[in-house]
Amino acid sequence: MTVMSRAWGRLTLPGKVIFTAIPLLLAVGVALALVVGILGGPIVELASQYGAVLRFLVAATIILVITIPTAFLIIFMEMKIIAFMNLRVGPDRVGPWGTLLSVVHGLKVLVKEDFTPSGADPLIFTLAPVVVYGSSVMTLVVLPFAPGLFAQDFNIGLLYFFAMGGLAVVGLLMAGWSSFNKYSLLGGLRSAAQMVSYEIPLTLSVAGLLLLAGTMSVNQLVANQSGWFTNWYVFQQPLGFVIFFIAVTAEANRTPFDLTEADSEIVAGFATEYSGMRFGFFFFAEYVNVFIVSAMTVALFFGGWNAPFPFPALAILLDPGSLGIWLLLGIAIVPLVGTLLLSLPFLLTRSSMPAWQAIVLGFVLFNVVVIGLLGVWAFVSFDWVAGLLWFLAKTYVFVFTFVWMRATLPRVRIDQLMGFAWKWLMPAALLNLFVTAGAILVVGR
Amino acid sequence: MNLIPGIGIVRGMSLTLRRFFQPKVTIRYPEVPSDVAVKFRGRLQLLYDENGSLKCETCFQCAQACPIECIDMGGMDTKGRFHVHWGAAETYGERREESALRRSGRPVPDPAYERFAPIDIAAVDSILEDFDHDPAQLLGILEATQAAFDYLPVGALKRISERTGTGYAQIYGTASFYGHLRLGALGAPAAAPSAAPYLAALAAATGAAGRQADA
Repeated sequence: MTVMSRAWGRLTLPGKVIFTAIPLLLAVGVALALVVGILGGPIVELASQYGAVLRFLVAATIILVITIPTAFLIIFMEMKIIAFMNLRVGPDRVGPWGTLLSVVHGLKVLVKEDFTPSGADPLIFTLAPVVVYGSSVMTLVVLPFAPGLFAQDFNIGLLYFFAMGGLAVVGLLMAGWSSFNKYSLLGGLRSAAQMVSYEIPLTLSVAGLLLLAGTMSVNQLVANQSGWFTNWYVFQQPLGFVIFFIAVTAEANRTPFDLTEADSEIVAGFATEYSGMRFGFFFFAEYVNVFIVSAMTVALFFGGWNAPFPFPALAILLDPGSLGIWLLLGIAIVPLVGTLLLSLPFLLTRSSMPAWQAIVLGFVLFNVVVIGLLGVWAFVSFDWVAGLLWFLAKTYVFVFTFVWMRATLPRVRIDQLMGFAWKWLMPAALLNLFVTAGAILVVGR
Repeated sequence: MNLIPGIGIVRGMSLTLRRFFQPKVTIRYPEVPSDVAVKFRGRLQLLYDENGSLKCETCFQCAQACPIECIDMGGMDTKGRFHVHWGAAETYGERREESALRRSGRPVPDPAYERFAPIDIAAVDSILEDFDHDPAQLLGILEATQAAFDYLPVGALKRISERTGTGYAQIYGTASFYGHLRLGALGAPAAAPSAAPYLAALAAATGAAGRQADA
C-alpha cells in the first residue's frame, strides 16, 4: 500500500488526471457498449440521424489511434535503415528483427520523470507538446487514404493543411517561452523563424498546381490524377515538386533542415527543458509529420491512391450466395483438404518429422495461403483496399527517402538555411507560378 | 563535374543507397561464432604504446584465462619493485631471450635478480590444511603465511594457488592490494631485486634497446 501511495505521490497533476481517467473511460465505454447492445434499435436510429457527428467522432478516434503505429513504424524504419546505411545491423533484439524496439522506446519515455522546471509556466509548458502534436494530427483530417477513406473532404483542404501545419510554430514558441530558459527561448524563436520562412515557398510551390487543377480539395486533386501515371502532377509541375519537397523537409524539421531540435547537439533547442512523455510527444509529432508530409507529397504530385496504370478489369466477382449448398460443403471440406494437401510434402519427404508436426505445419501454411488469397481478393474487388495499398506504398517510399536523406546529408547552418529559403526557393516558386500561369494562358489548359 | 549544383547530394545519396544493400560488418558474436580455421592457434604478442613502452601491466589475466595454460609470463609489477611470474621459470620472456643468446654463442648477461627462493613448502601446506584449502578464506591464508614467513614469498603464493585452485593472478592481486601484506622481506625494499641492470645488459647484447625502454 505504501508503494502505491508513494507512486501516486510521485505523479504529476496531469498524470493523476490520466490515471483516474483511464478506468473511468473504460467503465463508460463498457457501459455504452452494454446500452447499445441491449436497446440497439433506437440508438441506431439516433446514430443515423446524426451521421455526420458520428462520422466525425469515429474519424477523429481513428486518426488519433493510427498515429501511434505509424510513428512506431517510422521510428523503427529510421533506426534500421540508417543502421543498414552505416553497415550496421541495427535493432535486432526486441521482437522479430527488432521491430518492437520503438515500442520499448515509447515505454521508456513513458516511465521517465515528467519534470517541470521551477519558474516555468506549467500550463503553457504542458500545453505546448499537445499543440505541436495536435497540429500534426489535425492535418491528417484532409488526407485521402483511399477512395471514400478520408476523415473530411474540405473544398479548402489544402489551405486547411497549410494552416494546421503552421499551427505547430505556435506550439514550438510556447515550448520555448514557457521553459524559463533563454536557450529554449532562442531555440523556439529559431525554429519559428525557420518554419515561417519555409511556409512561403511551400505555399507558393503548390499555387501553380492549384492553377492547373482549379480546386483546393485534396480529394479532387487526387481524383484529377487518375489513369496512367503520366497524369500525375509531378510531370506537369517538376519544379513545383522539388520546391515543395525541400520546403516540406524544413517544415517537418528533417535533416538537412533539422536544426530546430538538432538531435546530435547538447542543447535541444525548444525541447531543452522537456523530459518524459512531454518530450516524447515532440518526437512523436515529428515522426507523424514525416508520414503526413510524405502522404501529402504523394497526394499532390504522385497520384495519391491511384495505381500508376489502370488495371485491366480482372475482378472475378464471386458471389458466395450463388453457390447454395456447395458453400456449406466448401466451408466444411476446404480447410481439411487444404491442410492435408499442404502437409503432404512434409509427410512424404521428411521421414524424421512426426506426423502431427507435419499436419500442424500444413495447417499454418494453409492459413498463410488463405490469408494471402483473401488479400488478393480484397485488393481486386474493393477499390479502397487497392487504393490504400497504393497510397501507403507510395507514402513509405517517401518516408524512406526522408530517412535516406537523414542518413546522408549533414545539417545546414542557420544562415544558409534562411538564405536558401529567401534567395532560392521563393524566387523559384514565383517563377514556377508565373510560368504555369503563362502556359495556362497560352495553351488554355 | 563538381560544378553541377547538387551533384554532391546525388553522389552522397547514391553512396548511402549502395551501402544499404552491402553486407553488414557487425559480428553478432555469441549467436554467430566467428569463422576460425580448425588449426588456428593464434599468436601471442605484447603491444607497445607510442612511447615505445610495453602496454602489458603484468596483471596475468591472460595467463589465468588461458584454458590450456600455454601462456606464461614474467615481469615487474606495476611499481617496478617485485618480479612476478606465471608459468615455468624457463619459459619467461627474459629467459627465452637469454637462452637464444646462449645458443648464438654471444656473452650472456648475468641476471641481476634471483629466481624466487626455495621455501619450506610444508609450512604453507599446514596453513592450508588449517584453512581447509578454502579459497574463500584467502585473506586469512595470506595473513597466516605472512606470519610464518615474515613476508609473502612467491613460492608460497604459487603453492597456495596450486593447492586451492585459485588463479595466481587473484592471489597476487589480493596480496598486493592489502597494505599489511608484504611481497618482499621487511626492511629490505632497497635490496629488492631490480631488473634494470639485467635488462639493460640484455638490451645491449641483443641490440633491441627501444623495445625494452620501459623496464
